[in-house]
Amino acid sequence: MKNEMDLESIIEDYLNGKLSESELAAFEEMRAKDSAIDQKVIMHKAFLDSLKEYASETELRSKMNILHHEIDVESLSRKLGPHPSFIINIWRKNRAAIGVAASFVLLTLVMLYSIQQNTQQIGSVELVKRDLAILKNSNNSLIRKINSTAVTKNLKPANFGGTGFALTSNGYILTNLHVVDGADSVYVQDTQGNQYKVKVDMRDTQYDLAILKIIDESFKLPALPYRLKQGGIGIGEDVYTLGFPKDDAVYAKGYVSSKTGYSGNDSTQYQVSIDVNPGNSGGPLLDQNGNIVGVITAKLKLVDGATFAVKSKYIQEILNMIPNDSLGSPVKLTKKNSLQGLTKSRQAEKMQDFIFMVKVYK
Amino acid sequence: MSKKLSSSVPTDREVVLGILNNSDDALNKLYIGYFPMVLQFILNNNGDEDDAKDVYQEGIIVLYNKVKSGDFELSSKLKTYIYSVCRRIWLKKLAQQSKKTNNISDFEDIISTEVDIEDHEQKEEQFDKMQSALLNLGEPCKTIIQDFYLNNLSMQDISEKFGYTNTDNAKTQKYKCMQRLKKLFFQS
Repeated sequence: MKNEMDLESIIEDYLNGKLSESELAAFEEMRAKDSAIDQKVIMHKAFLDSLKEYASETELRSKMNILHHEIDVESLSRKLGPHPSFIINIWRKNRAAIGVAASFVLLTLVMLYSIQQNTQQIGSVELVKRDLAILKNSNNSLIRKINSTAVTKNLKPANFGGTGFALTSNGYILTNLHVVDGADSVYVQDTQGNQYKVKVDMRDTQYDLAILKIIDESFKLPALPYRLKQGGIGIGEDVYTLGFPKDDAVYAKGYVSSKTGYSGNDSTQYQVSIDVNPGNSGGPLLDQNGNIVGVITAKLKLVDGATFAVKSKYIQEILNMIPNDSLGSPVKLTKKNSLQGLTKSRQAEKMQDFIFMVKVYK
Repeated sequence: MSKKLSSSVPTDREVVLGILNNSDDALNKLYIGYFPMVLQFILNNNGDEDDAKDVYQEGIIVLYNKVKSGDFELSSKLKTYIYSVCRRIWLKKLAQQSKKTNNISDFEDIISTEVDIEDHEQKEEQFDKMQSALLNLGEPCKTIIQDFYLNNLSMQDISEKFGYTNTDNAKTQKYKCMQRLKKLFFQS
């Protein structure tokens, strides 16, 4: 063992270049002659190398750990981490797919536009407002006359109709501006046939939205079951609406087909594949959970199912533009959504109490 | 934001030279400069801050080994290299935990780093073996080996530190320790 130990110490000195010239020559000669010694030198060198590598990696790791403490990881992760919103995550993850879908829709719109060029009448945007005068002689107007004589004093049939929905339980109602624009007087009628006079409280020409206020101060609704969706909604998501293309509320179902409106770069609107008719203007567009995602505004003439809806975030925007004191009582939007989890038919049933037919006299 | 980030990041040449010279300053700038990039990647791909730390440190070790072995050429940006290495390491970890690895959100360009990662894995294996061998070696052997081979203390210092009557005793002890360490290392 003594020999082995001496040998190893010589090998170490040799590897570290600590041998004198004569020793070095002697050792190299020995190494050249005895392959067992040569083997030992190689083995020992390899082992020492991995020991040194271990040491330098340990040192590097401990330096990095010290450096790591200097980084404010928490605030960085807040900045760089995934967005808490589910929708935005979906957007980030499926950006490519959405891009393809969007460009497809864009292409369709371009084609649509070129059709327009050829036949001037086709494809113009028709505001989905109902000209009730046309129905004067129909059965419908007869029924309504009977209804309205029973409930209200107003016997004259309205000229135009649209849809609106409650923003608060104290009588603020949202509809499209084009429904009530230029009106002499505006009334709303609920699904039970009760009619209320309203004043146009707020007009927003940019998004084509208007806020109505029921004049009767005693008017009171139960708590609103739906919620205004703050984020956006994705392409392909199922949506539905309730509106008054006739004198009874009509349910219609569809899906979001594009995140932009008519011109393709109108990001204030969605394109929705849903069958609506004159009279649906101003109606709420709801997602499957009963969140309001938009307001039905217009549709393409002669193209089925190409309807446009103003995005819900602009409702919030115009609400924010009104100072609370000018509203009298603050506009509240329920945070809780009691429609979630209900079937569509139950949701629609619950919704009915909160949507109104907007009747306009010019 | 990107402007702000790039101002705190040293140039690629600075880093490579710094690594070769064992410069703490270079490591400092390198480590702090590129961590946000890797953190962002990990956080957005099923990982947390601790995962980011582990993956990033491994990535830096890969870079160090590569630069020190001398075959690092600045064929791509250092940023791309670090990102690609860390990405590869994280994807492997995710696969090991059998979490899903499709739908990866990427934030930078990627280059192939497969060979470097394989080298690194072999090195890590050696590292782990050495670590467990040293752990099992026990005292005073562990300290003697570390003092002599890693901290470059002389036999004289060691025999004083451990109270050996002469350096020959210390030498014998060191030799025995080394034999045991080798045995433990090659056994495992």
